[in-house]
Amino acid sequence: MAGFYREVARRVFSQELKDSNLASRDESDQYAPQYVLTPTGAKVNRIFLVGTLIEKEDIGTDSEYWRGRISDPTGSFLVYAGQYQPEASQFLADCELPAFVAVVGKTSTYTTDDGNVLTSIRPESIQQVNELTRDLWVLDTAKQTLERIRAVEVEEDPNSKLAKEHYFTDTDFYRAMVKKALESLKESKY
Amino acid sequence: MRQSAESIRGRFLKLGIDVPIEDIESRLEELVTNFKVPSNEAQRSVTNYFLKKYSIPKNEFYVRQAEPQLTKIADISENGQWANLKAKVIQLWENIHESISQVGLLGDETGIVKFTGWKNAELPKLEQGESYLFRSLVVGEYNGRFQVQLNRNSSVEKLAEVIDVIGGDFTPIARESDLRNISNLVGGQWATVKGKVIQLWENSHESIEQAGLLGDPTGVIKFTNWASSEIPYMEEGKSYVLKNVFVNEWGGKSQIQLSRSSSVEELDEDITVGTSNLTYFGAMVDIQTGSGLIKRCPECKRALVKGACAEHGKVKGEYDLRIKAVLDSGTSTQDILINRELTEELVGISLDSAIAMAADALDPGVVLDKLKHELLGRYYTVSGHKFDRYILANSITPSTSLNRELIEEMFAELEVD
Repeated sequence: MAGFYREVARRVFSQELKDSNLASRDESDQYAPQYVLTPTGAKVNRIFLVGTLIEKEDIGTDSEYWRGRISDPTGSFLVYAGQYQPEASQFLADCELPAFVAVVGKTSTYTTDDGNVLTSIRPESIQQVNELTRDLWVLDTAKQTLERIRAVEVEEDPNSKLAKEHYFTDTDFYRAMVKKALESLKESKY
Repeated sequence: MRQSAESIRGRFLKLGIDVPIEDIESRLEELVTNFKVPSNEAQRSVTNYFLKKYSIPKNEFYVRQAEPQLTKIADISENGQWANLKAKVIQLWENIHESISQVGLLGDETGIVKFTGWKNAELPKLEQGESYLFRSLVVGEYNGRFQVQLNRNSSVEKLAEVIDVIGGDFTPIARESDLRNISNLVGGQWATVKGKVIQLWENSHESIEQAGLLGDPTGVIKFTNWASSEIPYMEEGKSYVLKNVFVNEWGGKSQIQLSRSSSVEELDEDITVGTSNLTYFGAMVDIQTGSGLIKRCPECKRALVKGACAEHGKVKGEYDLRIKAVLDSGTSTQDILINRELTEELVGISLDSAIAMAADALDPGVVLDKLKHELLGRYYTVSGHKFDRYILANSITPSTSLNRELIEEMFAELEVD
């Protein structure tokens, strides 16, 4: 097990993940994990998110291939589950909409013909959760995003520096995003 | 050729069998000359041929023949070597395996070596403190250390003389081992340890008095107190000094054994365990295989893999419920172990109902599914002792409310901009 370490599941709002287009991977090693660097400098391989499953569709041709849309206060994530994610596929097949769901998954990027980078999520697990968990996640993600924004502003570490160089990150924009997310907690029962 | 043949003939003559020298020689000749067999191999092959022909058991022949000189312990240097030793039994250990008759340490004036007497050797029991002539021991090597084994071909003869042992009269009671920090313990040494019993495990095996975890400011280690040690029961939460315990290694981890030569005294002070009550907050992102309804070996409590214990083989397991989970804070991950009591509390199922669920579905996997369903994706605060890469949970609490202060603080910062 020497050298093995588990990828941390990053907390990123959907808006920020959608804005991400810098994929990186250690080219010398075909088994190296793939990362997406977000505008606030989160280096994402695994992600943890909680939101509302608002759409689902079986887009497979031969076998089932499920696409789910999960919204958070800033936008929505797309998750894709096929035969290699049997538990997640089963969940999407059975789940009634809408529902609060928690997803742990791996991000992957796809570059379209016109050069756009799309980031999608391949779930390792999806579970139905309650509203409390969703609110806790929004707070958790707001806090961690704000910490990253501060780091980008002072170019604290290599990731924040790289993010700033690549995206010319407008931190005010992301501060506004965090604020918007926090506002959704104002009405929270918890 | 003639010489080799003569020597073979001589050895058989000692057993009262006169093998015609021509027979021996022609067989040797054929092997060496026609079939290019090296001379020593040819001699062995021919000897074996005649042993078979005259129905002499190989063991008997070789034991009688091979009366090699006495070896000193310090000269033991080769794995697989046969040795004759005059040595004193300086210590007998607790024997944990049914196929072993006795295990302990032998010493002479040059050194000390571990010995193992196999049950099927059918040798008389050795007594601690007595000296013996050991014939035909087999030298083995384990983890880079030599040890000797008494097997069916070995013999033991009690000596009237007393063999001197290196370093004077080595008896563990007379000599107290050094006080060591738990984090410094390595396999194969004797030590004295001061620590607090932080966890006692349920134990059903009659030869074990207690097993659990002992902690000091530097770390945590597993301990086993053998029933035959006659050491009184230790209580969870109390601190003790454990004298002359033996440290061994299993699966790359050190553990300590309390045996007859160990002693334990309760301490007035309360030893603080390093990393004591580590607290970690995060989302449960994974529940690993080996969680849920599992079976444990009744002897050593290890989880069974496919119905077999790594140490004791196929055994009839005992059910247990536990969770190996990963919590993730967003910047780090932490493996945690949740025992049966906490699992029952956290998920609201008892071990019995878990067994019933599994029986109903004919699949213990349903219990794991239920755990995943109930726990994954939720936020928890765990506290407990750190052991290896795990936190052994003393408590696990789901988050039930938002930190309003944190929200206000963040709003305050965001309003400013």
